[in-house]
Amino acid sequence: MRYEVFRQDKPGAYHTHCGDVHAPDREMALLFAQIQHGRRMQTNSLWVVPKEEIGEVDTDEAAFGGTTDKAYRWATTYNVDASFAEEIEASEREQAAEERKRGSDD
Amino acid sequence: MDLATVESRAEPRAFSPKHDLPEEYRTGATRMLQFHANSEIMGAYLEKPFIRQSPSLDRKLAFSAKVQDEIGHGQLLYRAAEALGVKTREQMLDELANGEGKFLNCFHYEMTDWWETPMIAFFVDGAAMKRQATLKNSSWEPYAHAMDKICFEEGFHIKHGEDVLRELATGSKREQKLLQEAFEEWWPRILQFFGPTDDQSTHHDFMAKVGLKTASNDELRQAFLNSYVPKAEKYGLEIPDEPRIHYDEDAGGYVLEEDDLDWEEFFAITKNDYEPGLNQIDTRAAAQEAVEWVRTSLDASDSPAAAAAGGD
Ligand SMILES: [Fe+2]
Ligand SMILES: [Fe+2]
Repeated sequence: MRYEVFRQDKPGAYHTHCGDVHAPDREMALLFAQIQHGRRMQTNSLWVVPKEEIGEVDTDEAAFGGTTDKAYRWATTYNVDASFAEEIEASEREQAAEERKRGSDD
Repeated sequence: MDLATVESRAEPRAFSPKHDLPEEYRTGATRMLQFHANSEIMGAYLEKPFIRQSPSLDRKLAFSAKVQDEIGHGQLLYRAAEALGVKTREQMLDELANGEGKFLNCFHYEMTDWWETPMIAFFVDGAAMKRQATLKNSSWEPYAHAMDKICFEEGFHIKHGEDVLRELATGSKREQKLLQEAFEEWWPRILQFFGPTDDQSTHHDFMAKVGLKTASNDELRQAFLNSYVPKAEKYGLEIPDEPRIHYDEDAGGYVLEEDDLDWEEFFAITKNDYEPGLNQIDTRAAAQEAVEWVRTSLDASDSPAAAAAGGD
């Protein structure tokens, strides 16, 4: 059976997908995951999940964030200065980075 | 884990649902998260009418997106609260409807006019962001993770709020006058956002020791004033004579005469005893009841939705 593996590098960080293992049961899957995915990269915790338990929806089926122009919901759209508060500046920076990843169509 | 262990390990994002945490931590965190989640929901209801009332299509769209975000913030935070195992989301939503659930002072007041909207969308969201940015370091990991997403989204709220503020402040004489009036009405409430001075605040010590709070009310109010007073002045808003504030070099910024604020009203509000505010609670309760059938049909095992999802 196939198990997907999610690694967390330090306490409080997000578990992110890092690969999979084949194993006859959960216990063996946990062991294989340790050896294959927790041995070299810094690891605090692993989540090991049977593949068939994971639901998926992708861009073939869904228009994530819609299909119309949603410029109005991005911080970068508004021409006011965010540098007066570092937390607002940080949020704007994160949004700008995300926008670049998505392309400019949303 | 006992309380002493919790205190010694109370680093940012240190505790997650896999840890066995003491009752005091779990109830303290639940109280804080429930308050925060309730506030997101009540704030959304305050702004919801402006999806219709905003003066242009762009503003309507922006308010529609913002209200959706705020409801989403509420849901995220109820999940982070639920994970503590003290209360379920249903319980918390019911408590909000029946008047037991507590939430931010500012959302107990009515907001009826367009020129009031920057008071919430810029100043109150801005105050909330001061606090939320520090909560990225909460010791309850699900809280900190919720803050990552919420703080990401808030940049849009506040910049949009400032954009509305700028538009009104540079608009007609009438708009400027109405804006100033709205500011005078809301300013004392906004100053009370962070609550009373720390030595009057009951829960602070415990919450700080276990890492659920990483900044005090006073520090946050100070930081807020330092960022937002200059903004208000930039747009030509006149800071009311009372409550008095003055710039103090030694204190590192603006200092507020706290006694000038109406704390009797504030404490009535914190107990949900402030008569004019009850309408806010009841309006949301009515909305919750009106869509009860949606929840029931989703939950019912024989509903088409449940069947399609393979529910049992
Ligand atoms: Fe929010
Ligand atoms: Fe917001």
